[in-house]
Amino acid sequence: MPKQINVALIGNPNTGKTSVFNALTGLNQKVGNYPGITVDKKEGICKLPRGVKAHIIDLPGTYSLNASSLDENVVIELLLNKNDKDFPDVAVVVSDVENLKRNLLLYTQIKDLEIPTILVINMSDRMEYKGIQLDIPYLEKELLTKIALISTRKNKGIDQLKALIANYKELSITPCLNASEIDNTYFDKLRKAFPNQLLYKLWLVITQDVNFGKIDRNQIDAIDSFKTKSKADLKRLQQKETIKRYQFINNTLKKGQTIDLSSAKDLRIKLDRILTHKVWGYLIFFTILILMFQAVYDWATYPTDFIDESFASLADWVKDTLPDGAFTNLLAEGIIAGIGGIMVFIPPIAFLFLFIALLEESGYMSRVVFLMDRIMRRFGLSGKSVVPLISGNACAIPAVMAARNIESWKERLITILVTPFTTCSARLPVYVIIIGLVIPEGSFLGLSYKALTLMALYIIGFLTAIFSAYILNKILKIKSKSYFVIEMPSYKIPLFKNVALTVIEKTKTFVFEAGKIILAISIVLWFLASYGPGEQFNNAETIVRTENASLSEVDLDDKIAAHKLEHSYIGIIGKAIEPAIKPLGYDWKIGIGLVTSFAAREVFVGTLATIYSVGSAGDNEDTIKSKMAAEVHRNGEKVFTLASGISLLLFYAFAMQCMSTLAIVKRETNSWKWPMLQLASMTIIAYLAALIAFQFLK
Amino acid sequence: MNTIVQNSLVFTAVALAIWFLLHKFGVFPKRKKASTKACGNDGCGC
Repeated sequence: MPKQINVALIGNPNTGKTSVFNALTGLNQKVGNYPGITVDKKEGICKLPRGVKAHIIDLPGTYSLNASSLDENVVIELLLNKNDKDFPDVAVVVSDVENLKRNLLLYTQIKDLEIPTILVINMSDRMEYKGIQLDIPYLEKELLTKIALISTRKNKGIDQLKALIANYKELSITPCLNASEIDNTYFDKLRKAFPNQLLYKLWLVITQDVNFGKIDRNQIDAIDSFKTKSKADLKRLQQKETIKRYQFINNTLKKGQTIDLSSAKDLRIKLDRILTHKVWGYLIFFTILILMFQAVYDWATYPTDFIDESFASLADWVKDTLPDGAFTNLLAEGIIAGIGGIMVFIPPIAFLFLFIALLEESGYMSRVVFLMDRIMRRFGLSGKSVVPLISGNACAIPAVMAARNIESWKERLITILVTPFTTCSARLPVYVIIIGLVIPEGSFLGLSYKALTLMALYIIGFLTAIFSAYILNKILKIKSKSYFVIEMPSYKIPLFKNVALTVIEKTKTFVFEAGKIILAISIVLWFLASYGPGEQFNNAETIVRTENASLSEVDLDDKIAAHKLEHSYIGIIGKAIEPAIKPLGYDWKIGIGLVTSFAAREVFVGTLATIYSVGSAGDNEDTIKSKMAAEVHRNGEKVFTLASGISLLLFYAFAMQCMSTLAIVKRETNSWKWPMLQLASMTIIAYLAALIAFQFLK
Repeated sequence: MNTIVQNSLVFTAVALAIWFLLHKFGVFPKRKKASTKACGNDGCGC
């Protein structure tokens, strides 16, 4: 027996396949992508009896081996390709005790590929509620396999499953259905044309265009002695196959399964009636949303502030402890600040995914999606786009990641592209400071102008997202099946382990994927702001001291820092872009803020704070505000007026000023094309909106 | 730690960051990995 065996976990969606995967592998798992596509590839190692190790792959959920989506195709490609390094020694088909009949269709198909197959019947703890009884020995005999009756919720049957996997060589590989029964004449011809190939495999290749071995669809078509059928005939034969399989399954379950509905105690129908109600359904959903926002905004503030303060203290400690010098400054102001800038996003991401995981695990998310689909579809989105669009108000990064469960590639892409328009929390520091500067005091219907402006910015963000989705739906020429099929799983109390693993996995993905890019950008930005060419930068201290001999030491330090920044590389860049941003009402200093805040929007406030010589960002907002309010152009006009302020607010409302969102969009779309397109179009929209606003209001 | 060491460390860190970003943005060609999707029974990988 080899020391490590390949095990493929296969099953319909919502059968608890991932719970089985978690139970088998624990934390010994990693998530990657299948080559060339963005479908998650979850792998893990499980220790089996007698020192055998199992390499377990959690394959995407599929209802049958007749693929209708990218992730379903992954399952078929693996099962048909014996040369794939992940080709399973044993397939574990996970089914749900409540939907055994439907789940067995996939099982019989996999069994017919002559791969040793174990049938797992999960959620056995619900059998009593549902009045279900199973005759396991009879089912094992009829289905020609070994069955593991398990409950991941109660942690029952996992050891039995491990023992069955370890003894996979004892499993029968006899098919459940004789493929020739589908059409004797046709399959006889097929057998004669390809005598060394498995008949059912050939049939799957013919019907699905999947390559395997030395035979592909074109080769099949090229052989004169074998003429395949028309698409319509093949479809008819596929239907015949499905009917034959269900006949077999029905006969097996007739004796192997009894369901006593009188003893069932099910609340599902009653709950569904309320949660998908056209009035109550929406009300309950929006109440949950408010709670979710409260968590992401308010509850996450405590750990976020703690992380922020800890990194600020660490930076101070590094500066105080290490010898003075460029590298110490890089560590304190670049690297530690950069890592801090990544870590502060962990609490909102974790809270958001905690809520999403709880809603998904409980079975409620499917009801929300069903509820929202009719509204979102009008704009080219899916019901499933609701979650990313809502999450985008906290942070676009987890929101873009949350679009993964949208099956249609076109709908998923549109959702990813429009989500950054929604007002993320990183825009807030910019909004707060600019609104405070330029919007006058006063109120309308008891609401202050400042609060109304803030609310208007949120509404503008959401409406732009919806409107852009509508436009993209019209112009994107992507062939994608747009249908809406959603299974309503039973309501369950979420499993702590599954929720925790989801939160850990999503947070890890952000920290290690987007985080690396943010850190690298921070280092480069720090360098550009700390170094500069020529006399003006190198002799900044002498120049400033000569010109401002009467100033105090503190004021001099501020002046020197500002002078250096003006003549640093980033200052030169700011000056270079000044002609382009002048029509928007901005000067070179705001230009630097625009450049640095490309790493993250909130960097804008910190950059202005440094430029206006008041030390580091944020901790003394009034001082920054008063300095900004006092800032004047060379001709004596104020820099921050109503016109330039509104222009700046609109620029930040539309612009894609977030490197980490671009990085995550690249990761999710597997291409730089979409994030670059997103960057260009959002910047153009932002520029035009800011230009129009300034030119009208000035 | 003297100035030379500090400056060398800074330039190394910045160079690494730039290299990483260029690499991420696909400026450097990636080494071709052997395909896992073999087209023949002998796993030729073509």
